[in-house]
Amino acid sequence: MILFSPLTPLEHVARHVLNWLHFSAGLPWAWSIVVLTVIVRMLLVPLTVKQIHSMQNLQRFAPQMKEIQKKYKSDKQKQNEELMKFYRENNINPAASCLPMLFQLPVFIALYYSLRHFAHEPASKHPGSLSFLHFIPSIAAHTTTHWGGYVLLVVYVASQMASTLYMSATADKTQRALFMIMPLVFVFVIARFPAGLVLYWVTTNLWTVGQGLITRRLMPKTPPPELFKRSSRTPPKPESGGGDGKAGAPEQPKPSQPRPAGQPRKVRRKKGTARRR
Amino acid sequence: MYRLGVAAVWLYRVTWGALFPTTCKYHPSCSQYAIDAVRQKGLLRGSMLAGWRLLRCNPWSRGGFDPVR
Repeated sequence: MILFSPLTPLEHVARHVLNWLHFSAGLPWAWSIVVLTVIVRMLLVPLTVKQIHSMQNLQRFAPQMKEIQKKYKSDKQKQNEELMKFYRENNINPAASCLPMLFQLPVFIALYYSLRHFAHEPASKHPGSLSFLHFIPSIAAHTTTHWGGYVLLVVYVASQMASTLYMSATADKTQRALFMIMPLVFVFVIARFPAGLVLYWVTTNLWTVGQGLITRRLMPKTPPPELFKRSSRTPPKPESGGGDGKAGAPEQPKPSQPRPAGQPRKVRRKKGTARRR
Repeated sequence: MYRLGVAAVWLYRVTWGALFPTTCKYHPSCSQYAIDAVRQKGLLRGSMLAGWRLLRCNPWSRGGFDPVR
């Protein structure tokens, strides 16, 4: 309660908009939810577009950042400080930020309470159909009460995975994979929610995907790949050379030994460069 | 009392934070900052600091190293 109190005004606004969409604009409840979600996402467009751009910008520097992460593997504090320093030196604005995501929380809460009211109060209090596209009889009922809900859940998982592809701000592969698996775990929790909430999620995810596709298309295509190639080719050489030196440092007896048999070293180098390219 | 705030942050982490995964542009992250702030400054001042930090964590800010002082 304490946590949500600053967000309650936004929650009320969301609920009023939902009521307005239904009673004044004459939309069925399910479509009111879809339109409300679209309105919220439209308001967030300037925030998310900026986020996507800075994410693409960030990916250009991924090789250098990985190098820093490797260098300070043992000391997380130092690693983060160095990363922040790197951001400042290269004029990078880190991609992710907490605020846009937080804005969606009050809408979600407003929807949750509205749908719960629908489920508990008599139908005369919320006139109008609660069905959605003929395959979900009631958006206020639990998602799994009807076969249509299962369809919606499948769409949810697919859309959540797709949106993760576009929005997850980390270049870290394991973290990304984890985010991709998340919806499969959450689907069991979400199955207990009203179908209208899943509808909200599907809408917001599809918006994310669409936005990601559009912004990627609008971004000048040629510069990023060129820059990416340059940054992946040129910088790693001296840096990885230093890394090799460090990796080789504990194996000092080896470099002294291979002098007569220099061939294995050359083979190793070739392998390394081949991988990098 | 501060435990309430820490519990709230954890509640957020396992629910909303897990559903909408993002990584914060600051270090420590907003949720960690909130925990630190509530621990060091108490629930009221800590929550206010955390709220101000969340507002700063927008796409126009620079991000960076920003611990609770």
